[in-house]
Amino acid sequence: MGKSADLLPGTLDMLILKAVSLKPLHGYGVLLRISQISGNALDIPQGSLYPALYRLEHQGLIAAEWGESENKRKAKFYSLTAAGRRRLREETEGWNRLATAIASALNTTPDEV
Amino acid sequence: MMSQFRSWWSAATRRTRFEDEMRAEMEFHLQARVDDLIASGVAPAAAQRQARMEFGTTDAIKDDCRQSRGLRFLDTTVEDLRFAWRMMRKTPGFTAAAIISLALGIGANTAIFTLVDAVLFRTLPLPDPGGLYFLAHGNGDNPGTSSNYPLFERYAALTEVFDGVAAYNTNGLKVSTADGIESVDSLWVTGNFHAVVGVPMALGRGFAAERDRDAGGSMIAVISDHYWASRFNRAPDVLGQPLVVNGHTVSIVGVTAPEFTGLQPGTRPDITLPLSIRVLDEKEFFDAHDTWTSMPILARVKSGVSASQALAAADVAFRQYMSEKENNWILQRSPEAFSAARLLPAARGSNSLRQRYAMPLIVMMAMVALILLIAAANVVNLMLVRGAARSREVAIRLCVGGGRSRLIRQFLTESLLLSVCGALVGFVIAMWGTSAIMAFFGTMEAPIRLDVTANTRVLAFTTGVTLITGLLFGLIPAMKSTRLDLTPALKDGGGRTGASPRWITGQALVVSQLALGVIVIAVAALLARSLYNLKTLDAGFQGERVLVFTLDSYGTGLEAERRRAVYTELLDRLRTLPGVIRVAASRSVPIHTSGNARALNLPGPPETMSQRSAFTNFVTPGYFDTFGIRIVRGRDFNDGDRKDGIRVAVINQALAKLYFGERDAMDQTFSFWAEPEITYTVIGIVENTHQMNLREPAPAAVYTPLAQSEASPWMNFALRTAQDPAALASAATATARAVTKIAVIRYVRTMEQQVNASLIRERLLAALSVAFAVLALILVAVGLYGVMSYTVSRRGREIGIRMALGARRGNVLWQVLRQTLIVSAIGIAIGVMASLLSTKYLSALLFGLSERDPATIAGVATALLLTAAVAGFFPARRAATIDPVRAIKTE
Repeated sequence: MGKSADLLPGTLDMLILKAVSLKPLHGYGVLLRISQISGNALDIPQGSLYPALYRLEHQGLIAAEWGESENKRKAKFYSLTAAGRRRLREETEGWNRLATAIASALNTTPDEV
Repeated sequence: MMSQFRSWWSAATRRTRFEDEMRAEMEFHLQARVDDLIASGVAPAAAQRQARMEFGTTDAIKDDCRQSRGLRFLDTTVEDLRFAWRMMRKTPGFTAAAIISLALGIGANTAIFTLVDAVLFRTLPLPDPGGLYFLAHGNGDNPGTSSNYPLFERYAALTEVFDGVAAYNTNGLKVSTADGIESVDSLWVTGNFHAVVGVPMALGRGFAAERDRDAGGSMIAVISDHYWASRFNRAPDVLGQPLVVNGHTVSIVGVTAPEFTGLQPGTRPDITLPLSIRVLDEKEFFDAHDTWTSMPILARVKSGVSASQALAAADVAFRQYMSEKENNWILQRSPEAFSAARLLPAARGSNSLRQRYAMPLIVMMAMVALILLIAAANVVNLMLVRGAARSREVAIRLCVGGGRSRLIRQFLTESLLLSVCGALVGFVIAMWGTSAIMAFFGTMEAPIRLDVTANTRVLAFTTGVTLITGLLFGLIPAMKSTRLDLTPALKDGGGRTGASPRWITGQALVVSQLALGVIVIAVAALLARSLYNLKTLDAGFQGERVLVFTLDSYGTGLEAERRRAVYTELLDRLRTLPGVIRVAASRSVPIHTSGNARALNLPGPPETMSQRSAFTNFVTPGYFDTFGIRIVRGRDFNDGDRKDGIRVAVINQALAKLYFGERDAMDQTFSFWAEPEITYTVIGIVENTHQMNLREPAPAAVYTPLAQSEASPWMNFALRTAQDPAALASAATATARAVTKIAVIRYVRTMEQQVNASLIRERLLAALSVAFAVLALILVAVGLYGVMSYTVSRRGREIGIRMALGARRGNVLWQVLRQTLIVSAIGIAIGVMASLLSTKYLSALLFGLSERDPATIAGVATALLLTAAVAGFFPARRAATIDPVRAIKTE
């Protein structure tokens, strides 16, 4: 998987929401999609994927439905709910604000102080 | 929030599906990963291994998933319940003791609360009951609801504050049926009654706009759901059917809904008739200012009008009415009772039953609350003892990081399970108890009828009591049992050093149990002795072998002069019955609520007139002999005292003193205030007899011969018998039936039954409180026994060593017993002090003794000390028979 970074706490939920926002996915698909959209840079601990999915479903942010996988097997597909879409937008904005702030802080040169 | 609950609920209720889906989902994940790995060239076996390794421990992940769904709490609870259930099954003796204790405690509380709810709390099933008020009068604690029709009309005119004003009057009516005439509890009401009150109807209509003064215009009736069921078998075509009531044929126009049983809790009128029918027989009723009858007036206050505005308007009308010359006499006679109008909330119906039973019910409620505390203290003790037995298990769980809160939760689950089991058994006890109490009330002439089926309020109460008991009394042993000094607990399976906190808790519990027990038993003893005092009171008559029945010919068309002949014939026939010694007829009999007080013609200020009145009764010759009322001077009436002779009277000693003072009353004359021209000559003086009930002192009384009085439609017939009077009941009834077919024979009773019925409240209080006292005594004894047994078992080794060192068995026995007695004495002393402080609330219920009666309190203390000695003796004897060698060895 090449060089990968550990996830920051609290970011897994955001990534799952993002992954299923593109198209309904099963659990394994979520894993693959996150690797794909992060350019294989993020390593998802598989042990925490399912508890997170169950938690998000419990909170009503994603909805689950049984369907058929690409190779004709029964699988549980997750999709984003309206509440999930709202949450994803808030989290994205929050993250962007935080990232910009940290980036600008880290880019500060001695002259600017 | 809602979506979370839904997700939790679907997972919790369809648990198997949840688990299956979770497993399927994870299997799919692994399979997909394996497929991908094989596709990328990994060998199948290695792919399987790698996929599993990447995924991690499936069980742990599943557990995390469950937690995400909020299922962990449920799982733990189920686990705890299973464990608690196993513990309960493992120690059946302990479990039975705890459950029985709690069942009795919770059952007693539920039973009494059911009555409290039915008598004190229940709101009438009416729309907007809060807007309904009784228009009463008087300014004391005991407002009157007596009225007359002219006063009702004054109130009815106050349309600016009232939406409607109605009145009702309770009565027993004669209904002619195929089997003869029966007496039915009924109401006379104004023609707008059902509309104003808002009575819910099951069928047809109520009275809304019947005209009262249109005598005979509305020959209609409304019947109760109960009467519809019992008389008409719920026939749907009951509307329009005729009823013959007091000789008038009326047509049924409506059936009230089952939940409505009238406005007077404890009663259940079956037939409601408009007052316009009553006026057919009592022509003057609508205009009679001088007859104040028990006719409560109800008003619905207009919305937007406050109660005080309504009262102000009513008060003006009332004062105006009372100041008019036709009514001024009654105001002068009882200024307190008629000075001002009062507005009484009618949401819970009239307060006669509440007034009589509020205090007894509160006392009973307090007693059962104390009993529950005693019972719960027993359970705490049992749990503590068991906690001690489990101390090693607890210590191990704490050592391996089990977490104290988790253990406490486990203990609480256990205590809750116990209290829930106790509540379930208790509920059965409560249902049995309330029906037993209702059967008690059924022995009265007018039985108190209450709906005592458990309603939501009762269920909520029981649930609340159960949870509080389970949690509160689970918490003490839970905290104690999980606070361990780990090292000794692990070393020998139980702390055996000196006075452990657990042991002190046990002693404190025993002390408080004894103190509470003293209060309960003292209350019971005071109430039981009051009943005894009442029953052994010299009431001024000998009623042991007297049978009485009432002949009621009111409204049956039996005319006054014909009545006299019927009464004479009936007396003659009764006299010939075998076993009858003496017979008499009278308007009233001792200890009966019917009676007539008349003001005497004595000088004095008008407001003291009630103190110058006499109870009047008219009797046939033989009345005094029949009831065993001693003739002190002069003679009884005889056949020579005729209608056309001089008016004679027998008076009692109280009247002689009141009217004649120190003078000799014999052969003197007296008269009544209302008819000063009619004088009565005293021909005899009899002893004072309690008339209304045993509590009230015997009133001054005047007896006149029936021959010189108007023959009342209500007459009591009394038979003094040689043997058991109850055995003659059916013969007497048959005789009366043979003499008159149309009069109603009712309330056939022995004097003993009648006296008992008059003491129903006292008997109920005494019976219940004595039952509670016995319960308390047993619970206290069990508690004491349990704690002392535990103490002995805990100190087995120490006792063994002392005996090995030469302590004598007697010494050991005395030492253990002494400890019991000291603890008990402390508890009893506290209890005696608490009783002295709390029994003052009882004084109104007591008779013939002070609420601090020293003999009673001393007796209670002695009884408890004896109980303690007995309960403590067995553990003490066990201690004394310890085999020292074995006790030391079996450590």
